[in-house]
Amino acid sequence: MALSRLDNKHLTAFIPGTIVDVKVKVGQEVKQGDILVILDAMKMHNRIIAPVDSIVKEVNVKPGERVCKGFVMVVLE
Amino acid sequence: MPLKGKIEELKKRKEEVLQGGGEQAVAKQVAMGKLTARERIITLLDEDSFNEYDMFVEHEARDFGMGGKVLHGDGVIIGTGTIYGAPVAIFAQDFTVAGGSLGFMHARKITKIMDYALRMRIPLIGINDSGGARIQEGVNSLAGYGEIFWRNTLSSGIIPQISVILGPCAGGAVYSPALTDFVFVVENISKMFITGPEVIKSVLGEEITQEELGGAKIHAQITGNAHFFAESEFECFEQIKKLITFIPWNNTRKARKFEPKEPKPTYNIDDIVPGDPKEPYDVRNVIRAIVDDSDFFEIQEMWAGNIVIGFGRLNGETVGFVANQPLVMAGVLDVDSSDKAARFIRYCNAFNIPLCTLVDLPGYLPGVDQEHAGVIRHGAKLLYAYSEASVPKMTVILRKAYGGGYIAMSSRHLRADFVFAWPGAEIAVMGPEGAANIIFRKEISEAENPDEMRRQKVEEYKEKFANPYVAAAKGYIDTVIEPEETRKLLLHALEVSSNKVADRPFKKHGIPPF
Repeated sequence: MALSRLDNKHLTAFIPGTIVDVKVKVGQEVKQGDILVILDAMKMHNRIIAPVDSIVKEVNVKPGERVCKGFVMVVLE
Repeated sequence: MPLKGKIEELKKRKEEVLQGGGEQAVAKQVAMGKLTARERIITLLDEDSFNEYDMFVEHEARDFGMGGKVLHGDGVIIGTGTIYGAPVAIFAQDFTVAGGSLGFMHARKITKIMDYALRMRIPLIGINDSGGARIQEGVNSLAGYGEIFWRNTLSSGIIPQISVILGPCAGGAVYSPALTDFVFVVENISKMFITGPEVIKSVLGEEITQEELGGAKIHAQITGNAHFFAESEFECFEQIKKLITFIPWNNTRKARKFEPKEPKPTYNIDDIVPGDPKEPYDVRNVIRAIVDDSDFFEIQEMWAGNIVIGFGRLNGETVGFVANQPLVMAGVLDVDSSDKAARFIRYCNAFNIPLCTLVDLPGYLPGVDQEHAGVIRHGAKLLYAYSEASVPKMTVILRKAYGGGYIAMSSRHLRADFVFAWPGAEIAVMGPEGAANIIFRKEISEAENPDEMRRQKVEEYKEKFANPYVAAAKGYIDTVIEPEETRKLLLHALEVSSNKVADRPFKKHGIPPF
């Protein structure tokens, strides 16, 4: 419901784009601010960063892949 | 009775009022992790500067057993004082007295200090901590809210109005803060909503806590209703005090001038913006490399982060900064970022604060949800605010300035007084990829190797248009500058525009798209 905007575990693409780089693997510990994925969109290599300290639960993208808006790229525990 | 005895009586009466809602209620307030209303005022204002008025006001309610009830100060404290020597009018609702509920006399005290603030042309600070309308007083209580909203609107743009939410602020009560210039919230203490969790549950069957519905973080991150978020009341008071140093007492004055200071050498302006236009960076560091003492006071830091707004000083003078943030969503303009920047621009314009705009954006965010959320009318707010603003307007194009975004971000065409561009600036109607695909569609599709042809045409377009010199040739930008010259030129721009005249045809008021 309305709480989805508070969700900081499912990291989604804010706009369609191409995955340039995936910096993490499943099971890896991440610190707040760590770069997880780089998404080429809107003329920018956007850094998708960890909003909190956590462990990577799922990685759903590979470099070169195109993702649609809202696609869940990484899930944190 | 001799005078001495009368003085004793006065002291006794004061002592009684100072108890607030009594020991038990105060203990409850403390248990909630909150300061009392009086502690808040004393902590916020300069030492010994607070003077209280209407201490002995009593309510006149007679219904529902209210006749015999004593409510000290009728649940609100009003007065005047100073912050770093600047005069302010203040009210603080006292939750220990009948839950800070707003009755007729309670509202009359608030409106009295509001009238005073407007008459004396000094900032008004309202500390909200109230259960809402005093039900026993019925429509008189509603009338009180209306009188407050009316005065908030009357004072808007004349004196700074600051709302501090230090407890519940629900129902109609939330509209006073919403009508004021800056709203401060504190983690775990502030709660703001129109209809609370109980009503939502009974009407919609949805369960949600107060904190999830309208806690401090919600308003700082999601709704944009709050401008400043703090983890404690003390931190919140420090933020208010700092804000007061950046803004003038009223709309006929300039903000206080401080001793000029050079930016800190840790912020080297040459190293912040990457040459590759696809590489993000934190634009706040560019602001810090420009402003006095690298002191940038950000507003609405946690909401719509793709645009950055806040105050800094140039040569001791307050300047309002608006900057696209490439670090967040590539720095696009969208519904929320347009809304955020537009309101800030209008604030600066109302209070004689010059504007400095730093541009690096790919344009507006495309998408069905944006279009359906009304990005046309929200985006228009930004154009309106910049066009309307008559304070000195300085623009620096750091890198990308494409399409409608270029026009919206304080361009020459919206009457920026100074437009500077860095040598890496790309000012064009759209990005090279998109433009080449449209202009050379035929050549690309008919080529033996379309990909190679596309690459060539993109390069061709980039070379020809993705630079600042096409716009400079038309005089749309005044000059192309080296990054390290930025501060010097902005200081100069500010100096020469100190007597700016920007006459506009008379009108009652415009119709901004809100």
